Amino acid sequence: MNMIQNLPWLFLVLPLLVAAIDWLCFSKCPKTAATLSTLSAAATFGLCIAYLSGLQTGIPGVYVWMPTASAALDLHLGLITDDLAMRMMLVVTGIGLLVHIFSIGYMKGDSSNLSRYFAGLSIFMFSMSTIVLADNLAMTFIGWEMVGFSSYLLIGHWFHKASAADAAKKAFITNRVGDFGFLLGILLTIGVFGTLTFADMGNVSGTAVAPALLTAMVICLFCGAIGKSAQFPLHVWLPDAMEGPTPVSALIHAATMVAAGVYMMVRLQVSMGTEIFTETACLVISTVGAITAVMAAIIATQQDDIKRVLAYSTLSQLGYMVMAVGLLAGEAAMFHLYTHAWFKALLFLGAGAIIVCCHHEQDIWKMGGLAKRMPLTVLCFLMGTFALIAVPGFSGFFSKEAILDAAIVNHPTFFWIGAGVAAITTFYMTRLCLVAFLGSARDHGAEHATEAGPTMVLPLLLLAVMAIISGYGFMADKLVPAEGFTAPGFHFGFTFYVSLGALVLGLAAAIVVYGWGKRERDPLAGNFISKALRNRLYIDAIYDKLVIGGIQECGARIIEFIDFVVIRGLLVQGISWLVGRFGVLLSWLQCGSLRAYSCITGLGLLIIIIIIAL
Amino acid sequence: MTIPLAHYLIFSGILFSIGLAGVLIRKNILVVFMCLEMMLSAANISLVAFSRAQGTNGIPVYDAQVLSLFIVAIAAAEVSIGLALIVAMFRATRSVDSTSLNTLKD
Amino acid sequence: MFESAICQIIFYVFAVLAIACAVGVIAFRNPVASAMNMALCFGFTAAVLFGMGAQFMGIVQLIVYAGAILVLFLFVVMMLDVKEEERFCKLPLFIGLMVASVFAGMVVYVSINLPGVQDITCPFARLCDNIGALAVTDTPAATACVQAPSALGGYLPELNSTAANLAANPGMTPESAAAATGYPDVKLLGKTLFTQYNIAFVILSFALLAGTVGAVALARKIRKD
Repeated sequence: MNMIQNLPWLFLVLPLLVAAIDWLCFSKCPKTAATLSTLSAAATFGLCIAYLSGLQTGIPGVYVWMPTASAALDLHLGLITDDLAMRMMLVVTGIGLLVHIFSIGYMKGDSSNLSRYFAGLSIFMFSMSTIVLADNLAMTFIGWEMVGFSSYLLIGHWFHKASAADAAKKAFITNRVGDFGFLLGILLTIGVFGTLTFADMGNVSGTAVAPALLTAMVICLFCGAIGKSAQFPLHVWLPDAMEGPTPVSALIHAATMVAAGVYMMVRLQVSMGTEIFTETACLVISTVGAITAVMAAIIATQQDDIKRVLAYSTLSQLGYMVMAVGLLAGEAAMFHLYTHAWFKALLFLGAGAIIVCCHHEQDIWKMGGLAKRMPLTVLCFLMGTFALIAVPGFSGFFSKEAILDAAIVNHPTFFWIGAGVAAITTFYMTRLCLVAFLGSARDHGAEHATEAGPTMVLPLLLLAVMAIISGYGFMADKLVPAEGFTAPGFHFGFTFYVSLGALVLGLAAAIVVYGWGKRERDPLAGNFISKALRNRLYIDAIYDKLVIGGIQECGARIIEFIDFVVIRGLLVQGISWLVGRFGVLLSWLQCGSLRAYSCITGLGLLIIIIIIAL
Repeated sequence: MTIPLAHYLIFSGILFSIGLAGVLIRKNILVVFMCLEMMLSAANISLVAFSRAQGTNGIPVYDAQVLSLFIVAIAAAEVSIGLALIVAMFRATRSVDSTSLNTLKD
Repeated sequence: MFESAICQIIFYVFAVLAIACAVGVIAFRNPVASAMNMALCFGFTAAVLFGMGAQFMGIVQLIVYAGAILVLFLFVVMMLDVKEEERFCKLPLFIGLMVASVFAGMVVYVSINLPGVQDITCPFARLCDNIGALAVTDTPAATACVQAPSALGGYLPELNSTAANLAANPGMTPESAAAATGYPDVKLLGKTLFTQYNIAFVILSFALLAGTVGAVALARKIRKD
């Protein structure tokens, strides 16, 4: 086997190795660990660039892990290096690299174990790369679980903080719910296609299969995406995951991990063929996406925590992507995923920089006037905001247009939903910027804010550039994770005017409500709608009460039954009772009468004689 | 005219059974002890009968008689110990009633 | 013939008497009466042993059981001076009699069905028959027995005198020859005991010694100081 063929395996081996070395060898030496992790991210990024600029190494080797009776069902580890995967890798490693660099600055002075943090980042890179490069669903699932595990590590990095530990647990467990469906979907895939390898799926026509079965399969697989991409109703973990360090939020919860669901769905569409996605399945997927987009956008309007606003905007944008997947517009979904990755990473890292500079203050109502104190960061943040609210010319604009275009062709309802969400998005992002950056500081933290250090600003600047230009053809054509993608560019049609209208509407509404940074309190707060939104529409509370409470109550009942009836009642007391009764019975034999004893002896003698003689 | 071995065995068995009945029904521990001795001597009879029956040309197999001789000796030793125990018991309880020997029960 | 008839009478009469006395042992409520009955029972048992030709065992039965053990019993009964007359309770009586009678039934059943049950003749008669037959039919053979003792069993040397007596006096009946020389039961038993079972005998004597010491240790008064 040719060594050079196996070069793509470096994408997986390098971060894993570095994670192990960081944790095992340099746990007392965080600087070395950070350097190693960053270097490995840089190396994988460089490798990715090399592949995209035309490096050909042939098909990487396949390792059969668990052979089965039929070769088609062998559990093997193989890599796929098509455009979709490699360009996705560029997003993953590129943003990963920037997050690594940013983390060095952000985590400076943090008292927690930084080696663990960087080891976690590396293992995350490894897992994410596994998902992206996997050439079969089983391997995807392995990466899927690994991502869940590493996000657990990273969200819970400050595990001594109860909320962080809870958030990590919540993310992990919520994802398990989705993974269960995903696993069922994988089994159904075996049933339908007889293989898990993406490359072989195209050879099998799924049209002969009953549509109901196909629908079930797609929806089950989509369950995995619901969990990982935080779609309604499993979205609850994502806002809580903001308890992790901000670079982690940028890496995991903006650019990569949550995109895994969308990537997986698009990968399935590409390999299985869009005809597998039945009408019902598509409708379910789009509806889930649309619900998530609307709900998250509405909730975001009343969030005060800068990271939570961004988290809900992430949810909302993911809703867009999923909607696009459901509309069979995989290219548009990936386009939006790609632009969103850059500008959302920018927003998160910018938010991180702001938080650090405001001495770990996250409430936007305690900030204010930041535009004067840290202009560079704010400028970058604004670039990200513009991209997010789809100001024409910014990257987000093009990708959102692509989705809306797809929607108006396929399903006009979703088009209007998308446009509405765009207006709300503009509203809450403008609110965030107006409140945080303009006016005067409302708290000590914001008063003493200064510009962040170079390791933080540099990634911001790079990302800001990407947020602006990544939507244009010269970049997008080469970098959007889709085969033969061509950027749509400007075209002034119906969609353009509608989204421009939405933008203006949102901007105007936000400026009217929040003024030019003079407000001290949210004028919309206080009523019951605001209260409901601040409480995330009570969805978390309902889950806590019904699902978790119910399960716990049920479990408690079962355990109580086992504990009290089976263990205490039957095993402990039952046995002691039995022994006691038996003892009482036997104590009757111990009557203390010599004659009775001799009588028993005589009987025993008789029995022995009978046995021997007869 | 000869006597079958069975008659000796039946005699010895009946004697043994009477001894057993005595052990079972008597309360006086002295009498119980006497009955035990009776059972031992009943066993002796059957041993001697076997020794006679297994012999050739009128010469008995003396191994069996040696065994019964040993039984007699052991019985003598047993009686000495047993009677000493009874005396000790009487000292302790002022009684030779076997039904009164039930302190371990309580 | 005469001797064998005596043997039968000895056995059946004394067996019945012994059983009757045994019943007396457990039937009398007075321990002294029980002890006296047991003495009789042992005596009758000794008679049965004599009838079987086991003279030494009979003597031992008389001396050890009826003599030593029973006297010891009587001595203890007297010493303890147990006056209370015990009453038979119905239930233990019933159970005990049931167990004992079932046991007796078992023994009788087994004895009757014992495979290879041999008749036991009166030892005198049997011995005389054997040697007499030899002497009458084949005098040289009887003489040869004297020279080669193993022809008539392992203990024949002890019978040498009887056989020699018979061989020397052709007119003598075997009975009279045996009566003249006597049956060497004690000789034969002693020979077995002190050759083949010598070690066991020595060990047994230790057991007796231990019994004696134990009896003294148990029966002495414990001083409370």
